[in-house]
Amino acid sequence: MLTSLPKIEDNLLNAVRLLCAIIFFYLIIILSYSYIPLPLILDIDMNNIRLLEYAGAIERQEVIDVRENSSLSLTNLIHQGSPYLGDPSTAPITIIDFSDFQCYLCARYVKATEPLIRDTYIETGKVVLVFKHLPNRGFDSLGASIAAQCANEQGKFWEFHNMLYENQKPIDSGWVNQENLKKFAAKINGLDIKKFNECLDNQKYKDFVEKDIDLGSSFGFQDTPSFVIVNSKDGSNPEVLKGAYPFPSFKAIIDKKLSEVQNSN
Amino acid sequence: MSYSLVNLLPLSFKLVFSHVFYIALTIAIALTFWIIFNLFEQLIFFWPVWVFYLPEDALLGFVVTNITAILLGILISLNIYVIRNSRLKITKSSLFSGTGLGILSSTCVSCSSIGFLLISTFGGLGIVISNFLSTYQLPLRLVSICILLFALYSVHKKIRDLCYRLS
Repeated sequence: MLTSLPKIEDNLLNAVRLLCAIIFFYLIIILSYSYIPLPLILDIDMNNIRLLEYAGAIERQEVIDVRENSSLSLTNLIHQGSPYLGDPSTAPITIIDFSDFQCYLCARYVKATEPLIRDTYIETGKVVLVFKHLPNRGFDSLGASIAAQCANEQGKFWEFHNMLYENQKPIDSGWVNQENLKKFAAKINGLDIKKFNECLDNQKYKDFVEKDIDLGSSFGFQDTPSFVIVNSKDGSNPEVLKGAYPFPSFKAIIDKKLSEVQNSN
Repeated sequence: MSYSLVNLLPLSFKLVFSHVFYIALTIAIALTFWIIFNLFEQLIFFWPVWVFYLPEDALLGFVVTNITAILLGILISLNIYVIRNSRLKITKSSLFSGTGLGILSSTCVSCSSIGFLLISTFGGLGIVISNFLSTYQLPLRLVSICILLFALYSVHKKIRDLCYRLS
């Protein structure tokens, strides 16, 4: 019995060494990220070709500085059909939120930070929140984004948005497959479910979501959620926040921009 | 007869942490890793303002990463003691694997650039890997704690054997 104990410890050590080697290999890949050319290796299906092309675009540095993009004015964003929250006629500041419905940090932002922004700035007419789709975290993310736009067509985007984040489950566990998206939609009061299902089945807003992905790609956004805070009038003076920042971070930037707008007026 | 709490500690702890230097080192290392873990977890921010916040969904992970950071502080201090006081080579594999796994499991892999790197390098397989790391974050952290506890036991044994050899 005594002689078997060292053997158990040896086996454990070997297992630990193997795990260490795997993690070391992984860390090497991360550290050498800048130097490895990124081939598009696997195309799982058409939905994910988008994902891989996006990744390739980041590597080829086909990104532009967000300051160079003039399409961020609030009028332009609303004209494009992006869902928004707030009063566009009064709000001098726009927050553009690039998110994925399967991203748990996006869910954290929606539950912990967005209500505070809504109460403090959106409902007081100081800020408009615009949602842009960046479904780059899972196979089912694109479908969820298309479904959300189908809900937006009937003016029920934010109800659908909140419902998805409240019921979020692990990525690609099937919680936002076609069937479940229709079940979520059926729970929303006032939503024409037949029209919604037709929109989803035809993937009516696929091009729209892909344009949002292109916009996020042009800014080099990889993380979700990512935010661009701009002047509503012309989309100028952008500030970028990448990650689920808490309310004080947004407050610092918004208050600064509000005073800048006030001073310029 | 008074019974001190110190008597409950293993010999290696009493030996190493009788020196203030190792207590300070433990605190410094634990604090460093605490900051790193919470940066990855997006609970600490240094720009535009210094903020630490703890949303409900992050509570359990926060407790686990605290334990991991403390274990790392203790473990690295003990290992430094062994290096300084003995010519024996220590097995670092379990220390590094526990550290690496702790850091790895602290990130929302799918939400960050790491997930993106996986996807862009491995394509569809990268999506599966990043989803696995995100979904099983908590079990991975618990595994890293087990690895660190095992490493702690190993180094405690080394220090104890060192003491017996010297006495």
